[in-house]
Amino acid sequence: MAYGAAVAHDEHDHHPHGWKRWVYSTNHKDIGTMYIVLALIAAIVGGVLSWWMRLELTEPGLQFFDGETQLYNAILTAHGFVMVFFVVMPAMIGGFGNWFVPLMIGAPDMAFPRMNNISFWLTAAGLTLMTLSLFVGAGPGTGWTVYPPLSSLAFHPDASVDFGILALHLAGAGSILGAINFIVTIFNMRAPGMTLHRMPLFVWAMLVTAFLLLLAVPVLAGALTMLLTDRNFGTAFFAVAGGGDPLLWQHLFWFFGHPEVYIIILPAFGIISQIVSTFSKKPVFGYLGMAYAMVAIGVVGFIVWAHHMYTSGIGVNARAYFTAATLIIAVPTGVKIFSWLATMWGGSIEFKAPMMYAIGFIWLFVLGGVTGVVLANAGIDFALHDTYYVVAHFHYVMAIAAIFAMFGGWYYWISKMSGRQYSEGLAKVQFWVFFIGVNVLFFPQHFLGLAGMPRRIPDYPDVYAGWNFVSSVGAAITVVGTLMFYYVIWHTYRYGKTVSDANPWGEGATTLEWSVPSPAPFHTHEELPVIGPTGHHHSKPAE
Amino acid sequence: MAQRQRRIMVSAVLLFGVAAGMVGASFAAVPLYRMFCQLTGYAGTPRTENITRTDRVADRMVTVRFDANVNSKLPWAFQPLQKRIEVRPGEDVLVHYEATNRGGTAVTGTATFNVMPDTVGKYFNKIECFCFTEQTLNPGESISMPVMFFVDPAIFDDPETAGVTTITLSYTFFPVDGPQPSGAAAAAAAAAAPARAGDS
Repeated sequence: MAYGAAVAHDEHDHHPHGWKRWVYSTNHKDIGTMYIVLALIAAIVGGVLSWWMRLELTEPGLQFFDGETQLYNAILTAHGFVMVFFVVMPAMIGGFGNWFVPLMIGAPDMAFPRMNNISFWLTAAGLTLMTLSLFVGAGPGTGWTVYPPLSSLAFHPDASVDFGILALHLAGAGSILGAINFIVTIFNMRAPGMTLHRMPLFVWAMLVTAFLLLLAVPVLAGALTMLLTDRNFGTAFFAVAGGGDPLLWQHLFWFFGHPEVYIIILPAFGIISQIVSTFSKKPVFGYLGMAYAMVAIGVVGFIVWAHHMYTSGIGVNARAYFTAATLIIAVPTGVKIFSWLATMWGGSIEFKAPMMYAIGFIWLFVLGGVTGVVLANAGIDFALHDTYYVVAHFHYVMAIAAIFAMFGGWYYWISKMSGRQYSEGLAKVQFWVFFIGVNVLFFPQHFLGLAGMPRRIPDYPDVYAGWNFVSSVGAAITVVGTLMFYYVIWHTYRYGKTVSDANPWGEGATTLEWSVPSPAPFHTHEELPVIGPTGHHHSKPAE
Repeated sequence: MAQRQRRIMVSAVLLFGVAAGMVGASFAAVPLYRMFCQLTGYAGTPRTENITRTDRVADRMVTVRFDANVNSKLPWAFQPLQKRIEVRPGEDVLVHYEATNRGGTAVTGTATFNVMPDTVGKYFNKIECFCFTEQTLNPGESISMPVMFFVDPAIFDDPETAGVTTITLSYTFFPVDGPQPSGAAAAAAAAAAPARAGDS
């Protein structure tokens, strides 16, 4: 995908300095950087929480949570929320999205720079509230699903759940504003000639993600408001005693929750498409199929929510429908996997760190996708529901897969963001340590789940001891890999080679961000680039 | 440029509208789900409105069992005056439940209801029921409460319900305090809980 020659850029410096540059920022690159920093901080919080749980589970019996099992509940809740809402979403959508959507479509900035600023600070406030909720009363021990009646006043009488609800409200409002910003930007601010069907796949991914956010997050906001008024103002949306129905929460939550997992993974698809194409030195195979596969995944994502509720008492016909609908998702995801492989096929592949992470992503995503096909079957899910098999499945398919895309994206774009290149040797070591770590960590959890070990419980019978120990060893390796990544960041900024080339990756990197200088100047695309029809696969003009 | 600015504002307003609409839709789920259940008898919601009758009477009988539960916050004794009866679908049936206030104060309660199996809801027609209104009992007071219903003979025409031999009608009494349930409609939305307990 070549977008023509580089254009001149303003080098002169007219922007605020010091703390005002960041706190008042309306610059998409600075806001993107702040989102990435926020995610790096939140990842330490979420990571420490998960490490704490894994240490507890290393051997049978209660090591750290004896008599404090509610604390364990609160930690697993906060781990889920922090990782989903304050690590993956800020890094991928707020971070890479803000940085590269305007650069890739040839826009000078986002459509609403001030709204961009408030999106970030709402998210930051949300993270603060979420962390505080851990220290309020007994902590929110509800799981990230916050099912009533467990989350009702009867079982969580203190304000911790309310803190959590308000944290999600803030982060959700930030996400909705961000989504509106992306959609308006992508629809209205593309450079001349940049038709929808010529947009890089990362931009397509962000567009579909933004629509999912716009349609799903308000439903979470509505459900959370109901829960808040149930808890504090005597309404009875979910309280059976007042004529409510706890199942209503499950329906609303998962109507949001299922699209949410695509919100997490679609930007990853976009990043992986860019990386695979760059390092195979070929255009993405089946560009239109790749774009519309993401659209299809987004659409189907809204009509499969009750596959999270097979054991809630829904009827057999409903289970049959949700099984079939869920299995259909394997088709567009298959299109994506095979198109990535076909892009690599016959390509001149360079195994740089981003490419290693892209291939690692494909491996993890396929593995987690296969167990997803297993779990989609209502009959099998009755046996596996709420076991470690589910934990293994979703950590493979959306948690570590997303982290791989984030690491890959960071290595891919850091020279553009910082003007310095990472050390290839360090990055490869970091990749292998992390890759081995997460697989040793999560693969044995399939066995534990198949053997019936329930999730969210801090203790287990001796029969599960072996694989739990292996899993914890994997967690230790993962911790080393994670810390190495933070070291690589430091090393890059401290010792990284200065990159002066606009494009350090060569002929494979054809998108517009590689036409602006490195590091990308404060203002880019002030003169709009003009995009001509190139490449055999998007000669057809759109609209 | 001015035109682009206009397009940007129009699309932003539209998208804000979509977000607000989705919040509204999540709240609308409450009455919509209720209407859906009442219309279709989904999840064992008995029919209480728009009851259509024919003169048809089935040639087979079906057993109706009666179940009574009380929320632990309500100091009432509550039981059906008959455990089970044989019913001919198409014929009106009158049965009674009895509630006694064992507490020291007057208490108001309201009952949620549903039928098992889930699939027979649309064939179970309630003409009159104590559960349509709130009941207030003085200390020590005891009342007998009627339920009038009939089973639609079409139950034997539907392949999903033709094999049903026993229907369980279940009630659960809750105290009416802060939150005021909106009558039978709210009860219909709540109907699923006891049903699931009976399922497993």
